[in-house]
Amino acid sequence: MALFKKKPSCNGTGSAPRDGVRKVALVGNPNVGKSVLFNALTGAYVTVSNYPGTSVEVARGNAVIEGVSCEIIDTPGMYSIVPITEEERVAREILLNESPDLVLHVLDARNLERMLAMTIQLIEAGLPVVLVVNIMDEAERMGLAIDIPLLQEKLAIPVISAATAKKRGVAEIRAMVATYEKKEQAVFGYSARLERDIEEIASLLKGGYALSRKALVLLMLQRDEEAAELVSREEGEGYAAIDKKVREKCFERRESFHLDLSMERKGIVRGLMAGVLSIPDKRRVTAGERLSSLATNPLTGVPLLLIVLYYGLYQFVGKFGAGTIVDFLEGTIFKEHVNPWITGMVKGMIPWEVVQELFIGEYGVITLGIRYAVAIILPIVATFFLFFSVLEDSGYFPRLALLVDRLFKRIGLTGRAVIPMVLGFGCDTMATMVTRTLETVRERIIATLLLALAIPCSAQLGVILSLLSKAPGALAVWSVCMLLIFLVIGFLAAQVMPGEAPMFYMELPPMRLPQLSNILTKTYTRMQWYFMEILPLFVLASVLLWLGKITHFFETMVDWMTPAMAAIGLPRETAVAFIFGFFRRDYGAAGLYDLQEKGLLNPRQLTVAAVTLTIFIPCVAQFLIMKRERGLKVAIAIAVFVSLLAFTCGWGLNELLVASRLI
Amino acid sequence: MKCGYCGYEFPEEEGIKGCGKCGKPGRCHMVRCPRCFYENPPEIGFVKKLKEKYGKKS
Repeated sequence: MALFKKKPSCNGTGSAPRDGVRKVALVGNPNVGKSVLFNALTGAYVTVSNYPGTSVEVARGNAVIEGVSCEIIDTPGMYSIVPITEEERVAREILLNESPDLVLHVLDARNLERMLAMTIQLIEAGLPVVLVVNIMDEAERMGLAIDIPLLQEKLAIPVISAATAKKRGVAEIRAMVATYEKKEQAVFGYSARLERDIEEIASLLKGGYALSRKALVLLMLQRDEEAAELVSREEGEGYAAIDKKVREKCFERRESFHLDLSMERKGIVRGLMAGVLSIPDKRRVTAGERLSSLATNPLTGVPLLLIVLYYGLYQFVGKFGAGTIVDFLEGTIFKEHVNPWITGMVKGMIPWEVVQELFIGEYGVITLGIRYAVAIILPIVATFFLFFSVLEDSGYFPRLALLVDRLFKRIGLTGRAVIPMVLGFGCDTMATMVTRTLETVRERIIATLLLALAIPCSAQLGVILSLLSKAPGALAVWSVCMLLIFLVIGFLAAQVMPGEAPMFYMELPPMRLPQLSNILTKTYTRMQWYFMEILPLFVLASVLLWLGKITHFFETMVDWMTPAMAAIGLPRETAVAFIFGFFRRDYGAAGLYDLQEKGLLNPRQLTVAAVTLTIFIPCVAQFLIMKRERGLKVAIAIAVFVSLLAFTCGWGLNELLVASRLI
Repeated sequence: MKCGYCGYEFPEEEGIKGCGKCGKPGRCHMVRCPRCFYENPPEIGFVKKLKEKYGKKS
């Protein structure tokens, strides 16, 4: 990797445009408004392409700013000049390989103290930095006052106050881009001991480097492999002595070098901040901030989560969506109007009973497939996605990730796994694919297993909430079973697959009042996608079931499953819902709804069926994606384990309920 | 567009779209955030057209 190429302008002004084009790089943490500024500077002339050799996309745009031709590069978000993620690595490569004439470091005024640490690193590296203190409008709204001229004086680089989303400061930034000339920048001093260590190593460096020797030595002391490679290339035989010295210093400071360095930088930042930032005696805490801290504190966060689940899932999705709306659509619209009308029409048009059955029979395309999709599943997923979109737009999910991080670490996961788990309530298949974003193979396997096992998809969840809420105690039993299975199996899986849970950190976006337009748009799009996906599959499933019925294969399958049903105390007819469930989880749930409607299940049987069916083998699509993501062996192992566990739990629960007469 | 999970703002073209890896029929149309991979529903076609017509950038 050609990192840290020699930069001819390193010690010069850093402002002479090459080929008459001035190269400007936008850098900063994620979510500080870089892309907004990029759009404001470039307009429509933008190309987005993968950075060579990586999957990270980088946007570049050309613009003539106050008569100067510029190439603007929007680098991926980075937190430090020492990269952890591929995005950060790419951002650093752009800074150090492409030798920008100007580096616009954009930071969030509300988090000035935390983000200034990177400004120090950029200046220390000898880069031509201009600081853009963005989102000033929000900072001012919070009562924060930032003395920009004083900060500029202390840093000895230009500092611009901005709120780019509101076009504030954009004119000043444009003017700076056009006229910037690099001047001598500030030098930040560390403790005598660290400075001595840096000097000892720096004095051994003989080559020419794109970044300052001090920055290079600090990178090597942080065991940055690319920095070491570069020095090895540049210094040739002299590298052995440098490497020895670096190792010696690292060994001396092995206990706490990273902590020491970060504390020293914190001290420098604190010095810079003195007199720059004024916080009002009683800072105005916004409602969003108050809610955010309530949501992440375990003492208040757990009750808040339970309230959200009770009103959002149980009352809104379960009672209203799966109860009131389904009763109306299924009971009134379909049973009283659509079904009699379509039955009459089909019987009038098609004389053969066997073909009539295809459309209006027990497993007919219209009387079963379309009725399930339109009258049962659609209202449930509509209410679920509405509830989901409200939570999503409010910024609650990242707080949930922080809240459950400690618990998830016990089951071998981190708060990062909240993304697939939350998406699993929408559709487990897609969520299984998202497990690939988890850092370790161990996490991915555990998350895949838990998704297959204990996370019901939206429609399944809605039907279960609706059905079980009619039997006192049934919903509580189901909830406790699911929670126990999730935690116990997760804990055991983490023991079977030992390994450290990786670190989890994330930038919390602000909590906000959900916008109606966002909620409606997201709900509509998700519903449309879901419906378009399930409708053909439900129709296909009905045709297959019809074929199975006329060839008696379906009956044979039911016969095969009858002993298993009997073992868990369920009537023979329940096998139908399990066979449906293998096609799709939501299809199985709708089957359960029909069985309940026909009065075939008592409350105990309903609870046992709901628990078994929730754990039961993942649907065909989820199995295929498990195979794709984790391999055939793992997919088969999970499917077999899940199926056995489902019936074991169903049997155990049935025995317990019979013995205790709880339900 | 803005990621519903991490709040990262990115142009829709930069998101990961219709990867087809989930084995579902057709394209799911969801746009994955390039940063956290969370799936975001894209803007509805006619809303996008309205915005384009009246010059409001998302």
